[in-house]
Amino acid sequence: MNGQHGGPLAARVGYATFARAWAKSITGTSYMPVTQAELEAFLESLTVRLVDALFAEPFSLRRGYQIGADLVAAHIASAEGLGRTIEVIDLRLLRDLGLSGDDMRDRLARVLGTVAIGYARALRDRTLDEQESIRRAALVAREQAEHALRESEARFRHQATHDPLTDLPNRTLFTERLDAVFGRQGTAGRRLGLCFVDLDGFKMVNDTLGHHIGDLLLVSVAERLRRGLGTHLVARMGGDEFVILVEDTTCTDDVLKVADAALAAITEPSIVDGHELRVAASIGVVERPVEGTSPREVMRDADITLHWAKTAGKGRWALFDSDRNQRELTRYALSSAMPAALERGEFCLDYQPLVSLTDGALLGVEALVRWRHPQLGVLRPDHFIGLAEETGLIVRLGGWVLAEACRQARRWADVSPTAPFVSVNLAVPQVREPELVDQVTALLHEHSLPPDRLQLEITESAMMSTDDESVGTLRSLADLGVRVAIDDFGTGYSNLSYLSKLPVCELKVAGSFVEGLRAPAADPASLTDERILATLVSLAHTLDLTVTAEGVETANQADRLRAIGCDAAQGWHFGRPSSPSDVEALL
Amino acid sequence: MRRPDWAPESIDIERPSVARMYDYYLGGSHNFAVDRKAAQALIAAIPEAPLMAQANRAFLRRSVRYLVEAGVRQFLDIGSGIPTVGNVHEIAQQAAPDARVAYVDVDPVAVAHSREILSGNDRAVVVQEDIRHPERILDHPDVRKLINFDQPVALMVVAVLHFVPDAAQPAQILKTLRAPLVPGSYLALSQATHEGRTDEEREQAIAIYQRTDSPLSYRARDEVAKFFHGFEMVEPGLVWVPEWRPDTPEGVEGAESAVYIGGVGRLT
Repeated sequence: MNGQHGGPLAARVGYATFARAWAKSITGTSYMPVTQAELEAFLESLTVRLVDALFAEPFSLRRGYQIGADLVAAHIASAEGLGRTIEVIDLRLLRDLGLSGDDMRDRLARVLGTVAIGYARALRDRTLDEQESIRRAALVAREQAEHALRESEARFRHQATHDPLTDLPNRTLFTERLDAVFGRQGTAGRRLGLCFVDLDGFKMVNDTLGHHIGDLLLVSVAERLRRGLGTHLVARMGGDEFVILVEDTTCTDDVLKVADAALAAITEPSIVDGHELRVAASIGVVERPVEGTSPREVMRDADITLHWAKTAGKGRWALFDSDRNQRELTRYALSSAMPAALERGEFCLDYQPLVSLTDGALLGVEALVRWRHPQLGVLRPDHFIGLAEETGLIVRLGGWVLAEACRQARRWADVSPTAPFVSVNLAVPQVREPELVDQVTALLHEHSLPPDRLQLEITESAMMSTDDESVGTLRSLADLGVRVAIDDFGTGYSNLSYLSKLPVCELKVAGSFVEGLRAPAADPASLTDERILATLVSLAHTLDLTVTAEGVETANQADRLRAIGCDAAQGWHFGRPSSPSDVEALL
Repeated sequence: MRRPDWAPESIDIERPSVARMYDYYLGGSHNFAVDRKAAQALIAAIPEAPLMAQANRAFLRRSVRYLVEAGVRQFLDIGSGIPTVGNVHEIAQQAAPDARVAYVDVDPVAVAHSREILSGNDRAVVVQEDIRHPERILDHPDVRKLINFDQPVALMVVAVLHFVPDAAQPAQILKTLRAPLVPGSYLALSQATHEGRTDEEREQAIAIYQRTDSPLSYRARDEVAKFFHGFEMVEPGLVWVPEWRPDTPEGVEGAESAVYIGGVGRLT
């Protein structure tokens, strides 16, 4: 074996020539981040190692493997790169370096084999590594994207379920949570509470200090509610309305404590933009078993109860009461049915006798309105007069009563010359109606009714609240010759000054005094009532007024009233309210 | 529920990524079957595509070396893609260890991969951003932390603007990117042109890239020249990328089929 080959210079030239050829053959097979000169220098160093491998004794597999691996590491890393490398070595290495020897071709073949193996292994590892790293990158990127998506979804969900101003849960979230209470398994035995909160006078803050301050106040209230109510869900429903969900209450007291805490939190003064603001709130409270109710019902009842708290004077909570609610619902139903009922003629009049205490003669009858309700039966005035006053229907209803009473009075007058006068109650709005005098005049005329056959009663309290115009109306009525009576005298302020000024001819003394006369005369309280009554009668007579006692139920009462000089009486003792035909029978 | 504007996009690796296709052209294996399929389709249409990519990559290498020699130590590489063989920080930090490189790419996988490669290198960073939001790139805290805009910066916009359509106003983007640079800063830019290509080749390439994450916008030489507005071109100007300061005269052979034209400009 001739070891090295040619002279040192010739050898160097040969190496450089071969390396240049090698570099040229692999250029473009893959990207190599070096200059052509750097590539040639690298390949020249590999050429030296190739030659070493060629002559190594014993033959070393590892040298060839390493050359192959180093090619790949230098980014000469493609199928073409390997093919061209084998080709250029096989064609030119021995020739360019002037190498010869008996077994040189065999040795070269073995070296090329190991280079190819080392190269293929390294390329395979590199490919697998790169695949692994890009997969990992994709995984990381996907995880990051999913994380970002989850975060943005959480953010979006938060926005969708929270009020942007106060960051409190909004109606959507509240509804979800309330529905969840009902959707949960095993609602049996569970209870829930709800506070419907509305700030008092918030509109004033907005109107006087501006919406900006109003908003800041809401934020401050929200913060105090959040802080003051612990784990209970506080939601802003809109405007100045908040609602608190109290889950798993054990009793009503649990939620009332929350309502108290809410009121306390809200009424804490807050400094808003330099203003010290105090705000109060009203709260409607509902607490009940989950079973047997619904989210909608709970919300509705809390809302209704909130209005109770408002009408009760604000700055407080009210607790839902189903009886009250039922009553109000009935009232509402009655109230809305009344106009049609009046049209359909469902109202009628009963009459109660007013009897002289001196001779027992039937002096008059008081017309009492009844509603023959198709479902509820006959309703007494205390069931619907208040409603009619609230809705304003009282004027029409009162008008109808007046007309009907006049018609009936005419009929009795036709039957008997000593027929009783008819006494009709007037409500304050009727007295204030400018048409009242014309209406009465027309009725008297229509039925050719002597004016003294008609008595109009107004309550003492109504009289107190009448204005000058109404006093004029009463005077005009009196001038027509119609009797004017004060009803329920003694229950109000019993202002005596108007008695002399008003065109009144009769006082009807409230039943509460007469009630006192039922007890034995020796009873001190009873005696007091008797003395009051006696004074009233004496006073009335001084003013030239007659006195009728209401609510007389016993003969004893009648006797005592007679003894103190009372003129007339009305009550069960003398006759219950009855139909016109029953009255007619008395004539 | 309407998806809000700020909801992030999900990762779709079923769609070819131009970053991973480019890696394939360079001989890398940082790519998936979809990328290889699209890249192979392009190679079928334009067989010399891998050589062009290599030529562009070599332009990047030569320009970075040039810039380091010119004294630049800060690189803002936008559209950096898969930073594998011959990436900017390796080239720059080999020549100047104190060189700092901020990579920017829109492809979340490329960014995740870059982050892995750069872990442990406190002079290189990667941020995920779209070149179409240049102000976000400039304001990005990671970019600001690494790049001192009081000192010259080399703005690398290599092989990326052909993924920015005219509608996105690439000239305006460059104007924004140029704004904070001090004199002595550079712009190295290359982009694919249809010059020297047949209509068929051009149409096929556009069709292939239409299915990727970034459709292609070829531009003529004079349009590319406008992107250097405000910069003074360094010799030899805007040329086919193999012609730009080649290492050896042989490197220029066949330059006219290189697809990419590029150059380096200096801010004065």
